[in-house]
Amino acid sequence: MKTAAQLHYGEKVKISEIDSEHPSSRRIIEVGFTPGQEIELVSKSVFNDPLAFSVRGTVIAIRKNEADCIKIS
Amino acid sequence: MNPNTLDKTALITLVGSPNSGKTTLFNYLSGRNVKTANYPGATVEYSVSKLLHKFNINANLLDSPGIVSLTPHSPDEEIAVRSLFSHPTFGSPDLLVVTVDASQLTRHLFLVRQLLECGFNVIIALTMTDLLNKKGYDISTEKLSSELKCDVIKIDGRNGNGITNLVEAINKNLKSLSAKDKVMPQPYSKGDDKQKLISTYSKIELISDKVIEQIPQNGKRINLEKANRQLAILNPDPQIKKNCYQVDQRTLKIDKILLHKVWGLVVFFLIMALTFTSIFWLAQPIMDLVSNAFGFLAAKALAILGYNWFGDFISTGLITGVGSVMVFVPQIMILFLILGLLEDTGYLARGAMLIDRPLSKIGLNGKSFVPMLSGFACAIPAMMAARTIPNKRERLLTIFIIPLLSCSARLPIYALLLAFLFPGEKAWIGGLVMAAIYIFSISNSVLIAAIINKLNKKIIRETDNSSFILELPAYRVPKLKVVTSNMISSAKAYLRKAGPVILILSIAIWFLTYFPNYNPTIPAQNHSQLEILHLKNSERLANSYAADMGKFIQPVMKPLGMDWRVGVSLIAAFTAREVFVSSLALIFKVTDQGETLQGSIVKAMKDAKIDGTGQKLFTPATTIGLIVFFLFALQCLSTVAVSRKETGGWRIPILQLLIFSSLAYVLTFITVNCLRAIGIA
Repeated sequence: MKTAAQLHYGEKVKISEIDSEHPSSRRIIEVGFTPGQEIELVSKSVFNDPLAFSVRGTVIAIRKNEADCIKIS
Repeated sequence: MNPNTLDKTALITLVGSPNSGKTTLFNYLSGRNVKTANYPGATVEYSVSKLLHKFNINANLLDSPGIVSLTPHSPDEEIAVRSLFSHPTFGSPDLLVVTVDASQLTRHLFLVRQLLECGFNVIIALTMTDLLNKKGYDISTEKLSSELKCDVIKIDGRNGNGITNLVEAINKNLKSLSAKDKVMPQPYSKGDDKQKLISTYSKIELISDKVIEQIPQNGKRINLEKANRQLAILNPDPQIKKNCYQVDQRTLKIDKILLHKVWGLVVFFLIMALTFTSIFWLAQPIMDLVSNAFGFLAAKALAILGYNWFGDFISTGLITGVGSVMVFVPQIMILFLILGLLEDTGYLARGAMLIDRPLSKIGLNGKSFVPMLSGFACAIPAMMAARTIPNKRERLLTIFIIPLLSCSARLPIYALLLAFLFPGEKAWIGGLVMAAIYIFSISNSVLIAAIINKLNKKIIRETDNSSFILELPAYRVPKLKVVTSNMISSAKAYLRKAGPVILILSIAIWFLTYFPNYNPTIPAQNHSQLEILHLKNSERLANSYAADMGKFIQPVMKPLGMDWRVGVSLIAAFTAREVFVSSLALIFKVTDQGETLQGSIVKAMKDAKIDGTGQKLFTPATTIGLIVFFLFALQCLSTVAVSRKETGGWRIPILQLLIFSSLAYVLTFITVNCLRAIGIA
C-alpha cells in the first residue's frame, strides 16, 4: 500500500489508515492525521527529509519514516 | 459548599495547542509582558500572574506550555499536563480558559474534548477568527457553545477585542462554581487505544460541520448571524466547508523559497551569518559608549575621592565592576532581538526542519536547533528550551553540548583579547576572527556531539524513539512591541541573574588584591608622583592575599605561559565567565583618565610582565591560548545548576565540568606551546 512518504508535490490524497505499530503513530493521530482526512505534500526539507503536509488547516512537518505509517489510498 | 473555593483565590489556567494565541491572551489578561513566540514550544515554564486589577476578579492566572493532547510526549508538555491535574503550589485549577484557533478548529477542539471528558470547567477563547473570515467563513459561537456545553468567546489577539466578554464569562463561571462543590477532574486514561483518538476526531468533525458557516459573498455583513444561518441550511454540501481548512497560501509560497533545496540553505546560512555578525558590528558602537562612560566615571571618582583605599574601592571595586557587567548588555539585547524576530515571524520552525536530517546524523534532533541557537545568548534558557525535544537521549545530548556554544558572556572576553591582538587599524581583522571563533564553536559542539553519540552509552545512557513532528506556523509580520519588550526583559533577567554575582565577586577580588598591605611605603627618591603611584600599586598587589593564593595556582598556570594573576582571574571566572574581564581590570589596577575601560585594560595587558623574569605576560601565543581556553571551559555555576535540574541528576553536569575543563586546559597547553614552537611568541 502507498504511504504519505511516497507522495509528490501537490498531490492531494485521502488517508486510509494509520499504522499503529509505529511508535510515533499516537502523536501522528493526535496532530490530526486520521483516516479520511485529505492531505497534501507541500514541502520537503533538504535531503528530502522531513516532509511537510497540509492537514486540517495547518502544515505539519514529520520525518519520512514517520510519514511511512500514514497509509493512503 | 466547599470552603476552599470560597476563601481561596481562584486559579484559572490557560491551556491551548502551540500557536493558538495562548500567551498573547495571557498578556492581555495579566497586563504583563510575557514572552510570546511563533515557535511551537516557546513557553517551557509556567508563568503565573494575578488577573489584571481592572477586571475586579480575585484570581491567579497560570500560563502553561502548549499541548496537543493530554498525553505528553516531551518534558514541556509533561509540565503542562501535570500542572492541570495538580499544580505543586496552586493545586488544581478552578477554571480553564482554552485557546482555540478558529482556522484549525478540528485540531484544536481535540484538546478541548479531552479536557471536557476529564471533567474540567472550560471556557473557549476562539482566536484568529479574522483569518477564517478572510476565507469567507465564520463560526457560530452559540452553536459551538451548545454543542460542547461551555462558554465560547471570540478574541482578537491584535487589538484585544472580546477581552471584556471573556472576563464576564470568567466571572459568571467562577460565581456558579463557588455555589457548588469542587469536582476533581479525572486524569486522562493513557492506556486508551488509537481507535478512541480517531473517534474523538470524528465526533469533532460532526460538531465543526454544524458550527462553521459561510459568509455571504455580496459582502453585506449587517445581519451576519441570520444570513449565515440561512446559508448553512441552503448549503449543506460538505465540499464547501472543506475550503475553510485551506492553508494560508502566502505561507506556502514563501516556503517554496525558504524550504527550497538550494535557496533554502542559502537563506538559512545567510540568516545565521547575519545574526552572528550583527551581534558584533551592531553592538560595537554602543558597547564603546558604555565602556567610555564607565572609564570616565571610574577616573572621575578616583580624582574626587583621592588615591586612598576608599577612592580605590569606589572607582575600581564598584564602578569598574559594574561597568564590566553593563558593557555587554547591548550585545545580549541585540542577540535576543534577532532571536525574537526569527521566532515571531515563524522562521525558527523552518530552520528546525531544515537541519533535522544533518543533526539526526550526530544524535541530535531538528528540535535541538532552537536550544542551540539560544545557547549563543545564554546556556540557561537554552537548556530549558531543550525540554521541547521528546527523545530523552537527544535532549540530554543537546544539553550536554550547549556550554560549548559561544554564549554572550564570552563576547566581552573575546572582544578584549582580540582588541589586544589586533589594535587600532587592524581591528577589522578582529571582527573576522570573532566570526571564525563562532564557526569554530559550532563545529566543536557538533564534533563533540558526534563523538559522544559514537561512544554510545558511555556518557549518555538513555535510548528512546527518535521523532520529529513539528507544526510549521503561518508566517506573520513580527509584532515589534512584543519583540522589543521581550528583548528588554531578557536584558533585565540577565542583569538580575549575573549582576549581583559579578558585583560581589568584584568587591571580593578588589579586597583580596588591595589588602593586607594597603599602604606600602615607597622611598620617594627621584620618583615622580605618577611613578610612586604605580610602584605602590604593584607593591600592594605583590603582597596581597590574592598573591598568596596565586602561589598555589602558579605551577598549574606555568605550562600555559601564564602567571597567577591570570590564574586568579580564571578561577574567579568559574562562577561566571564575564568576571574574567572585571577581574583583570582590578588586578591590573585599571583607572586611566580619558580612556575606555577596554582601552586601558589592553594598555595594562601590554605592560604586564611575568614576575621576576621580565618576560611579557600577554603575548600572541598566550592570548590565543586564552581564547582556546574560553572556547571549551565550562565556567558558569548557573549553567552547572541548571544542567543538574534539567538532566535530573549530577552525572551530566559533573561530566560536562570535568570533560570541558580538562579539554580547555590540555588544548590551551597544546596551542600555546605549538605557537611558540613555530616561532610565534
